[in-house]
Amino acid sequence: MDPECSQLLPALCAVLADPRQPVADDTCLEKLLDWFKTITKAGSSLLLLQENPCLVELLCHVLKPQDLSSRVLSFSLRLAGVFAAQEDCFQYLQQGELLPRLFGEPGPLGGAAWTAPSVRSGWIQGLRSLAQHPSALHFLADCGAVDTIFSLQGDSSLFVASAAGQLLVHILGLSMQGLAEGHPSLQAGDWPVCAQKIVGHIEESLHSTAVPQITQALNVLTTTFGHCHDPWTQVLWVRLSPLVGSLLEKDPVPAAHSLVDLLLSVARSPGLSSSSCGLWETLAQTLNHLSPTQAGPLALGILKLQDCPQVLRAQAFVILLQPLACVLKATGQDPGPSGVLDSATGDSLTVDVLLSSKAACVGLLCRTLAHLELLQPLPQRPCPWPQEPLLGAAVTLLQLCRGSASPASDVGRHLCALLLGCVRVQRAALDFLGTLSQGTGPQELVTEVFAVLLEYLRSPDSSPTVLKKAFQATFRWLLSSPKTPGCCDLEPHALLVLRELLPVLQKRLCSPCWEVRDSGLEFLTQMTRHWGGQAGFRHALLASEVPKLTEQLLRDPESYVRASAVTVMGQLSSQGLHVTPVSPEHPGGQQKSLLVELLHILSTDSEGFPRRAVMQVFTQWLRDHHADVAGDTEQFMARVLQVASQDLDWEVRAQGLELALVFLEQTLGQFHSHCPYAVTPPVAAPAGSLAQALQPLCRVRLFEFAFRALFDCDRPVAQKSCDLLLFLRAKTASSSGSLEESRSGPDVASVEAALQRWQAGDQGQPLGDLEPEVVAALDCSQALNEDSLMG
Amino acid sequence: MPEIRVTPLGAGQDVGRSCILVSIAGKNVMLDCGMHMGFNDDRRFPDFSYITRNGRLTDFLDCVIISHFHLDHCGALPYFSEMVGYDGPIYMTHPTQAICPILLEDYRKIAVDKKGEANFFTSQMIKDCMKKVVAVHLHQTVQVDDELEIKAYYAGHVLGAAMFQIKVGSESVVYTGDYNMTPDRHLGAAWIDKCRPNLLITESTYATTIRDSKRCRERDFLKKVHEAVERGGKVLIPVFALGRAQELCILLETFWERMNLKAPIYFSTGLTEKANHYYKLFITWTNQKIRKTFVQRNMFEFKHIKAFDRAFADNPGPMVIMPGYCVQGTVGHKILSGQRKLEMEGRQVLEVKMQVEYMSFSAHADAKGIMQLVGQAEPESVLLVHGEAKKMEFLKQKIEQEFRVNCYMPANGETVTLPTSPSIPVGISLGLLKREMAQGLLPDVKKPRLLHGTLIMKDSNFRLVSSEQALKELGLAEHQLRFTCRVHLHDPRKEQETAVRVYSHLKSVLKDHCVQHLPDGSVTVESILIQAAAHSEDPGTKVLLVSWTYQDEELGSYLTSLLKKGLPQASS
Repeated sequence: MDPECSQLLPALCAVLADPRQPVADDTCLEKLLDWFKTITKAGSSLLLLQENPCLVELLCHVLKPQDLSSRVLSFSLRLAGVFAAQEDCFQYLQQGELLPRLFGEPGPLGGAAWTAPSVRSGWIQGLRSLAQHPSALHFLADCGAVDTIFSLQGDSSLFVASAAGQLLVHILGLSMQGLAEGHPSLQAGDWPVCAQKIVGHIEESLHSTAVPQITQALNVLTTTFGHCHDPWTQVLWVRLSPLVGSLLEKDPVPAAHSLVDLLLSVARSPGLSSSSCGLWETLAQTLNHLSPTQAGPLALGILKLQDCPQVLRAQAFVILLQPLACVLKATGQDPGPSGVLDSATGDSLTVDVLLSSKAACVGLLCRTLAHLELLQPLPQRPCPWPQEPLLGAAVTLLQLCRGSASPASDVGRHLCALLLGCVRVQRAALDFLGTLSQGTGPQELVTEVFAVLLEYLRSPDSSPTVLKKAFQATFRWLLSSPKTPGCCDLEPHALLVLRELLPVLQKRLCSPCWEVRDSGLEFLTQMTRHWGGQAGFRHALLASEVPKLTEQLLRDPESYVRASAVTVMGQLSSQGLHVTPVSPEHPGGQQKSLLVELLHILSTDSEGFPRRAVMQVFTQWLRDHHADVAGDTEQFMARVLQVASQDLDWEVRAQGLELALVFLEQTLGQFHSHCPYAVTPPVAAPAGSLAQALQPLCRVRLFEFAFRALFDCDRPVAQKSCDLLLFLRAKTASSSGSLEESRSGPDVASVEAALQRWQAGDQGQPLGDLEPEVVAALDCSQALNEDSLMG
Repeated sequence: MPEIRVTPLGAGQDVGRSCILVSIAGKNVMLDCGMHMGFNDDRRFPDFSYITRNGRLTDFLDCVIISHFHLDHCGALPYFSEMVGYDGPIYMTHPTQAICPILLEDYRKIAVDKKGEANFFTSQMIKDCMKKVVAVHLHQTVQVDDELEIKAYYAGHVLGAAMFQIKVGSESVVYTGDYNMTPDRHLGAAWIDKCRPNLLITESTYATTIRDSKRCRERDFLKKVHEAVERGGKVLIPVFALGRAQELCILLETFWERMNLKAPIYFSTGLTEKANHYYKLFITWTNQKIRKTFVQRNMFEFKHIKAFDRAFADNPGPMVIMPGYCVQGTVGHKILSGQRKLEMEGRQVLEVKMQVEYMSFSAHADAKGIMQLVGQAEPESVLLVHGEAKKMEFLKQKIEQEFRVNCYMPANGETVTLPTSPSIPVGISLGLLKREMAQGLLPDVKKPRLLHGTLIMKDSNFRLVSSEQALKELGLAEHQLRFTCRVHLHDPRKEQETAVRVYSHLKSVLKDHCVQHLPDGSVTVESILIQAAAHSEDPGTKVLLVSWTYQDEELGSYLTSLLKKGLPQASS
């Protein structure tokens, strides 16, 4: 500890111990504790206490009956725990009987302060820190703390209750650590006292009729089996599994969610799942006993397991599919040839849930769709995967929500009434439909998929969030359309869809909702990125009004939309999809070029997003040698850097440095990787002298921009400028021998002086025209040594 | 038993990181999703892992409601929706939706740029989060689903701030967010109708403060600023709460104009400037005066106040005025606590040399305002959040005494459970009402009285109708239910004679009733039937069989007790 801090500690402890000086700021206690944790982590707690007796005095003082703030008491309990985590310090505190007084019956436990949740929480957290060694276990057993922890599992504070459960798991693990390797005895009498007590309490709770108690016991077991895979956990499971199994005999099954968590935790534990204690039978039995809503997570968990009997997997999959099978059956559809959905159709319980109320129906369907969405991309997903019926079900659900399906059965009509206009199911079904694009499907079904997606994109009733998901799903399906080998263009069917899609997109770009316009532009960006170079796409796009509308959106009132429009326009222009039309008023000339328009946005837009987007487009254009830039790169660079340097948004200035770096690379050669194994590409440095090479950089005033950025008050900008200048130094150092004499010249001195003023905060004065020789000399000089750059 | 459960994950006996979970009639709603200004690590956001142990957040939560754009109410929203994974609807007012991203961007900038945090939400995430927002209008009832509805009320405080009523069936909760019961220079006062919710969750930042007159405070403020400027000094007003900047700008602008002062006033570019744009746009949300004069001159078009340029920055002047509440852990809080040295990040120590003044221009309701709102809404119980424990304790007692309702103040993580009595609406038939009216008694809320009728449950609806109508509607025949009683009389005469004696006796006693002697020998009084029979074992005793309907229960009981006393001796 710093001597300064040591000196301050007594005064600090005095303030904490004085009830007349309430601590006005709770967060400082938290931060103080963080500081103590760091100190004790790095050194001996015992030494700390011996060198600073005020700390023990504080801990003693808080025990005196007084009007002390509950937060200071809580802090002291946690602090004592932090110190006692080291066994020698624990013994030291025990000598003064301080720990029993803090954590035992005579302490706050029995006092009025116990009613404050912060004190109970401090007590638990203190014990959690303390319980690190065998002496702590004896202490816990002796002072009766374990019983208090049991009762705190049902605390009115979620934080305290949850921490109590966690602490029990920790104590159980700690006490079992001492046991010899190998399988411990099943006899409870052979287990350590603390462990016996905790297991006994769990057994008692599992026998209880009170659901909260059963839940607490199941949660403790779930965490135990999830965190510890030692042999003793197998013995514990063998001992407790009959009790857990007996919960299934009750109707309804109590604490079903926690039971599912426990069983999955056991199944995931490598030692437990392989042991022959009837786990798979219990899982199968549980699947049958739980309601469809409760069984879903269990079924998903089982299907995610690496090793699991095939029969159980099949049973789980049937359960997971049941709600969708019911939807297919209710709408008179074929559940498909795979037979999986066929066997899932007969469950009347699922139908009952689906039809019981709108909330139940929506809840079950959304959960099922989310579970299947999670399962679909996994390697262990069931095989064969019923792609076709699932596609059919997703499409049907979307139709039911729109009211465009007309089921003949009563159940179907009832479902239709429940789901009509339900945004939650629409969103979940569109997400799932998007995921299903990773598989294939017969052409007629894919046609149906696109039809329903178009229906959603066209519908005036679709909410902005639904439209966003519809756009995303449509893109994924277009991406997955079968391609002609050797050609990455859209296949004919997808092209047909695109032709129908573009007018819809056109309409959506004119939506009064900015969210919809933006989602439309994001969709267009993705499409252009993928198919911008393909003839079919280009033709369709250019024949539509979409590029023109996008250009108009550069002047949208919403800045997010303007930014997205900038990105799209930049991309369209790169792909040659943006042709500047000839102005009818000036038949000889052209309308304002996109470059000018983007520069205008960069200099005048009041919001940061569009300006950042412009800088990204410019950087990409420079990289791609875009025609508008390549024509007169220097003029372009000079203009953009000048505008960017004055921007108030640090991200625009940082992006300016990115642009400058690309320019440097193109002028001087590639930015070398620091990786020693990287193959260094041939340097594209010009054949002429360094001064010649630096000339264009000076002309675009890149150095002034970089030096200004070096002293930028926003850290990322300064850091980026550092990178750029270090790169430049590495480039110039090797060939600057001839410039040695320039270093002491008057020009260098004046620029260095100006830079020092900049560093001091006075950036009003410009650097003037920098000559390459001065820059090279400056770059190598002490003023820019690595330390000062990094500082 | 239906119940309402409330668990604050933040703002429970605490200011900052507002996040309150409400469970009402099976629906789960999250109120606000804020960050704590006093922490830079995980503790700055509420611990969302406590919302549900099982399943996805989107399945568990029915919606999220954001009361206003301050970061302690919405700062964790992009983290919650884009990083934790909530994909459901988020409700807020239109101005909040417009200004929220500006503050979130600013917060991101500070976290990422100044503190160099890598695992933070990005600009794209803020945008994606804002796209999930459903904007609401004031007093518009929005159906979240078939059962859950919400309604926004004007809260003052800042532009777009709203109180929300959350209603499922007959159960309802009102969440105030931050509010101000006194109008200020640019906003009106909070208002809510007498909605009598089961629970009112109110902020209590100034639970023990009763503020003096705003005029005096404004005068002091302007005097101090003026004096400092006259001395050639400078005044720095770190307005950390957006909205207060606009309020103070209007105050200074008006004063400068009146006094014809020339000293320049600057506000830092960026946040305030961007927000000004929206203040001009959402003029309908401001107070009446600004709305009225807006056509001649928009009050947010300042003449004297200019955007600040970095070139003006030098030493901050001799005075700093803190215009509102500073959250614990912040530099503002430290300065106000009298700290003269500040340790900044990187252990750089700054000495506080300037004069520091605290003048509350905070737009929170004071104790009086909170009591006023409770009186306005007439809740069945009150729950305090967004305040300090000790101050809350004081207000809690005051509310309980004055309004005779339960008041709760849970700490973070503590759950308050309120049992609610199910309210079942019953329709009443016009016929029954007319019959009731015919008795000459007009309905009166304060004097409840009993009404007899038949309750019919049909198509999940309850209706109270007259028995006759019920029979008719249900196509049922009426069944008569009669009470019977045997009375033993010592009378050796024949049964017929005993009946005559009974008739004569009753005729003389019950003068107002219709007493009849029927040809079959029985006697009737209204619906009451009396028959005399011989005792099977004792010929000197006669048994009187008395029976009556429930309508005449009172008379029947009276009659039996009368007969039990015996018949008067015959005069002959």
